[in-house]
Amino acid sequence: MRRHLRDNALTIFFLAIFLAALVGQAFVGHSQFNDEQIAHRAPTVSLGSYVTSSAFLVDVMENWQSEYLQFVLFIVVTVWLVQRGSTESKPPGQQGTESDEEQKIGEHAQPDSPAWAKARGARLFLLSNSLVGVMALIWVGTWFAQLVTGRVVHNAEQLSHHEAPLSLWEYAGTSEFWNRTLQNWQSEFLAVASILVFSIYLRQRGSPQSKPVGEPHRSTGAEG
Amino acid sequence: MLRALAALAAAASLIGCGISDDRAQARAVVERFLDAVRAGDGEAACAQLGESTVRALETQSGQACERVITRLEHEGGAVTRTRVYITSAIVELRGGERAFLDRGPEGWRISAVGCRPQDGPPQAYPMACEAEA
Repeated sequence: MRRHLRDNALTIFFLAIFLAALVGQAFVGHSQFNDEQIAHRAPTVSLGSYVTSSAFLVDVMENWQSEYLQFVLFIVVTVWLVQRGSTESKPPGQQGTESDEEQKIGEHAQPDSPAWAKARGARLFLLSNSLVGVMALIWVGTWFAQLVTGRVVHNAEQLSHHEAPLSLWEYAGTSEFWNRTLQNWQSEFLAVASILVFSIYLRQRGSPQSKPVGEPHRSTGAEG
Repeated sequence: MLRALAALAAAASLIGCGISDDRAQARAVVERFLDAVRAGDGEAACAQLGESTVRALETQSGQACERVITRLEHEGGAVTRTRVYITSAIVELRGGERAFLDRGPEGWRISAVGCRPQDGPPQAYPMACEAEA
């Protein structure tokens, strides 16, 4: 049990702080929502009603979609583009999907390789693209959920001004939907650009996200 | 995984039930209002309005809500569609008029009635209403 925890400590740590942050967001979001309800002489809602409402879900979904988009782009673009000196990049000259030997597939598969790595055709294609495939599905799903829940929140606001509600298609063209979307995308893209460049020149001793402290700035893909 | 999906489906159906209840309640409030106006029962009609709507109507007309509400120039008609978004609702009537409602401490109450689009697209401009908060 202790060994299992130690071997999976990184995932457990991030799942735990994710849940703690989500619960914290639910409590403070609920408090803010009810403050606004009171200001508009409207009834307050229970925590349960709030966390199942579009008001809470849109705030969660708009952040989730941008995180998954970041990873989708990072996984796909790093196949083809490199950054000399970065820990997050392949060395220059290795751009592309690489040979079967380098990827340990087909006759180059190891005895303990995944079964589909030894196969050909659809199964090999699915395994070869499963990481970006699942990430992309979650991105599209959460972005669509942002669209659906964002429309409900926007329409509640429309009705409070005695304006007509918008269809899903109409809401997809509003500046509000794109503002919610782009404000999240830009921060994710900046974060990726930052780690790509910072990892060339800066070090964190012991971290696999950094080169060894004494590694030259020019060496690419080296992790400590 | 299957249990998580079942829980998600149950939660989604509960949310669906909640919205469906709200829709029925909002529609019933508008129907009670229209019935009361048709019957000349000002007291019953005003009971379907929100507090701030009653106040605005009385301030504008200089008369009690019960006296003025049955004399408003609105067409009415059967309810054709009700939509609910969180604590707001819109009810559309056959003649093209709309009523807006908010969910207040006493349940759904009308915030505006006899509303029609005016200058531009109704998604971009507030509608002109016979009575509104």
